[in-house]
Amino acid sequence: MGFREHAAPVRRIFGIALAVLLIGGVIAVILIGNKEPGGTATKTVRGVIGSEKAEFFDDPDVVKALAAKGYTVRTETSGSWAMDQLPLKEYDFAFPSSSEPAVEIEAKAGLKGAQTVKPFYSPLVVVARANAAKVLADNGLARLTGKNTGTLLMGPYLKASGEDRTWQQLQGSAAYAELTGTVFIKTTDPTSSNSGALFLAATSNVHNNSTVVSDEAGIERTAPLLRKLISVQGSLPPSTDDPFRAFISGAGDPLILVYESQVASMLLQKQDPGDMAVLYPDTTVNTEHTFVPLSETARELGALLTGDPKLRELAIRHGFRPRDGLAEFTKATEPHSAFLNQKLTGIRQVNTPNVKILMTLAQRAKG
Amino acid sequence: MSTHRTTTHGTTTHGATAPAATAHQRTATHGSAALRTARLCRRLAAAAAATAVLLAATAGCTSDGPATGPAGGPKKSAYQEGTLRVLASSELADMEPVLAQAKKATGVSVKFTWSGTLDAVEQVASGKADGAYDAIWLSSNDYLRLRPEAAGKLSSETPVMSSPVAIGFRPATLARLGWKPEEVTWSAVHQAVSQGRLSYGMTDPVRSNSGFAALVSVASGLSGAQAALTDADVKQAGPRLKEFFTGQTLTSGSSGWLATAYSRRHDVDALVNYESVLLSMTRDARSELTVVRPQDGVVTAHYPLTLLTSAPAGARESGRLLTEYLRGAEAQKQITERTFRRPVAPGVAPAAGLGADKRRELPFPGTRSVADGLLASYENELRRPSRTVYVLDTSGSMADEDRIGRLKSALTELTGTGASGTGRRFRDREEVTLLPFGDKVKKVLTHVVEPGNPGPALDAIRGDVESLSPQGGTAVYASLKAAYQHLGQDKGDAFTSIVLMTDGKSGDSAQEFNSFYATLPDAQKRTPVFAVLFGDSDRKELTAITELTGGRLFDATGGTGTLGGAFEEIRGYQ
Repeated sequence: MGFREHAAPVRRIFGIALAVLLIGGVIAVILIGNKEPGGTATKTVRGVIGSEKAEFFDDPDVVKALAAKGYTVRTETSGSWAMDQLPLKEYDFAFPSSSEPAVEIEAKAGLKGAQTVKPFYSPLVVVARANAAKVLADNGLARLTGKNTGTLLMGPYLKASGEDRTWQQLQGSAAYAELTGTVFIKTTDPTSSNSGALFLAATSNVHNNSTVVSDEAGIERTAPLLRKLISVQGSLPPSTDDPFRAFISGAGDPLILVYESQVASMLLQKQDPGDMAVLYPDTTVNTEHTFVPLSETARELGALLTGDPKLRELAIRHGFRPRDGLAEFTKATEPHSAFLNQKLTGIRQVNTPNVKILMTLAQRAKG
Repeated sequence: MSTHRTTTHGTTTHGATAPAATAHQRTATHGSAALRTARLCRRLAAAAAATAVLLAATAGCTSDGPATGPAGGPKKSAYQEGTLRVLASSELADMEPVLAQAKKATGVSVKFTWSGTLDAVEQVASGKADGAYDAIWLSSNDYLRLRPEAAGKLSSETPVMSSPVAIGFRPATLARLGWKPEEVTWSAVHQAVSQGRLSYGMTDPVRSNSGFAALVSVASGLSGAQAALTDADVKQAGPRLKEFFTGQTLTSGSSGWLATAYSRRHDVDALVNYESVLLSMTRDARSELTVVRPQDGVVTAHYPLTLLTSAPAGARESGRLLTEYLRGAEAQKQITERTFRRPVAPGVAPAAGLGADKRRELPFPGTRSVADGLLASYENELRRPSRTVYVLDTSGSMADEDRIGRLKSALTELTGTGASGTGRRFRDREEVTLLPFGDKVKKVLTHVVEPGNPGPALDAIRGDVESLSPQGGTAVYASLKAAYQHLGQDKGDAFTSIVLMTDGKSGDSAQEFNSFYATLPDAQKRTPVFAVLFGDSDRKELTAITELTGGRLFDATGGTGTLGGAFEEIRGYQ
């Protein structure tokens, strides 16, 4: 059982990645609970979270809701794939963006049977401008269920990538000056960032005859295509915030990989999405944000995040899908169903390769 | 915009001349000596702005001596509560009003130190930035990300606004070429240049963020690369790139000076720079430009405000507050309206004049070999070569305080050490002339750096530098005249420039030189003099020379080492 030994070089890469993503600073959360007259004293818990949850924990209403239950939560952010490299003794909990790194964190912290919970999740989506989405659909790479939403057909898309298909070769692109060059989806750096890594998890699965890559043969089979997906992009951003903001500012690449929560949060906060189309890859890996209690103090917090109606509601406000909360999410996002595939209809969810294989794939893809 | 100024949000210093480790963490409110220094700096900066001569920062303006509180309190080393020390791209000087509002809203102020991309990346990667700065704010972190050493040093990269590389044309130029602004491409520009119908100015990619982004845009546009540039793309595009850069008739180490120089020159048809810089120039009535984003693609700067992991917790918290504010709707609106950068917050409309039609984003190279290879090609092969004359005061007073030794070591640095990075030594194909003077010109020593075999010329220059000896008076003007005569008629394919270094007041009169200069043909008049203040040189005298010739003044009076800094910085203008 030499997994950790074999993983050592990979872990060093994580170490570098960690430092990239680590916000060492404590994001101080205002102690509203303490200020309320007659309020009970709160206990302070410290956690390390994936950066996409920073806005959730910063939200004054979340702070208030947690305080009402006796918690003051202070968070730092880190790349999920690097959290196990942190001095975990300093934290009461870790809250990575998917379940794979949670296992690593538990192992590193020496926890056995830690009560991990998965309060909410969010699928990866590709945002495009409506014209780009239409060109993809007209060329059989996507299927639109409306002007602003649809499914990215991973089989045809990966085939096109393998053939270095350019936008110019797609019918109907000529009308749009920006639709030139190789067709690619802008991702984050898969060696350090969760979304980039999980994109490779999904694409490698499709390219590996719909099977999780689990051995050397699978790596060899999929690596050349993954390299095409990643190396064509040039410089890789450290988080989805960068390309998503570029998209909003009107610049940027036609196709961008983000979390559904980023789009949903924008819609729910009534910010103008412009002519955005949201494409759900037909094969995907959900990001199950996984709460790992590291100390006794935080043990109940995970359950609270999962079960407290107010906190569930607030998670939805930030675009997350609460566990077993499809009805709540669907209801809240009803006005935005033109953009969102609320029930994830027609989306196949697959498992990720183990960490070692996934990171090998990421390294090979970067070249 | 000036390279150095003191502003309401803090003191700005210049990276090239302010050693990163210098502790000058103080605002003008601390201590009367500091206040006086700050006032002086402000006056100098104001004077510089008024006369359009840009001053390099002096150590006198940046290190206010030992930092003590108003009542002689404890030493304020490193980070000062609520004041973020930021290593930044110089074009962010236009963020001053936004940051003033940010301070009101968050209590966080920003102290900028300006730096070019490569210099900033070097400081971060080498660890020099640790402890000296709390954050970096460059137009892009793309190049930084290619350096593995930098990986552990950055956190929370937050894009604040965006601006693509664009081309500003004189309206008459577009009319002459018969181009519609929305249809201009890099390929069309290349074609017009190679037909001799178009010239332009651009900043030095090695020192300026906008120049680097422009280089990547052009290389992508002309290579026909469909994805991120590869070494093969760069190589293949070489001949076309070389043709493209024959049209570059103006170079600069900073966007600010480029704009100033462009306003003086009527033989330059266009400028390549960030859209925001070009639109601001038009607004400020310095130049009327029609700003176009080439249809075949652009590289866009996203200005990520990035915290350094080495920063103290308080600084990181301040950084978080500041970024949160800057990403808010109010700040985003102010940013786009004041600076013509594009907002990154949903629901905030871009300022009037920012075109809504989309452009392909040209990928920034994903490997260091491609990025560095492109820069090295630009320096040594693609750009027009340089003809550079160093007019060097070797009067008797240069023996004081070992000034001659400092001059020698500063010049020797420019001959490279073998390990010198791109842009740190005399370039391949460069014609370097040393013109040491005392009572008169002592010698005229010229060497041409041979492409692919720079060693012999660099050795020879080093030898000549070593032989300089202090003796005689200070005939500044006669020597300058000799420099212009040496350069003679520009051969047409080189950037000509004169560097004047003197440590005292000139012994001869300006008048004869001025009349001589007035009789020069336009092409020769365009050779700028970059003057270096050193020792006891006369600021007024040198300012007048740089104004007359369209050059720029650099200050090396701050202490040991800064002469090298000034010479190094001037490389961007040669």
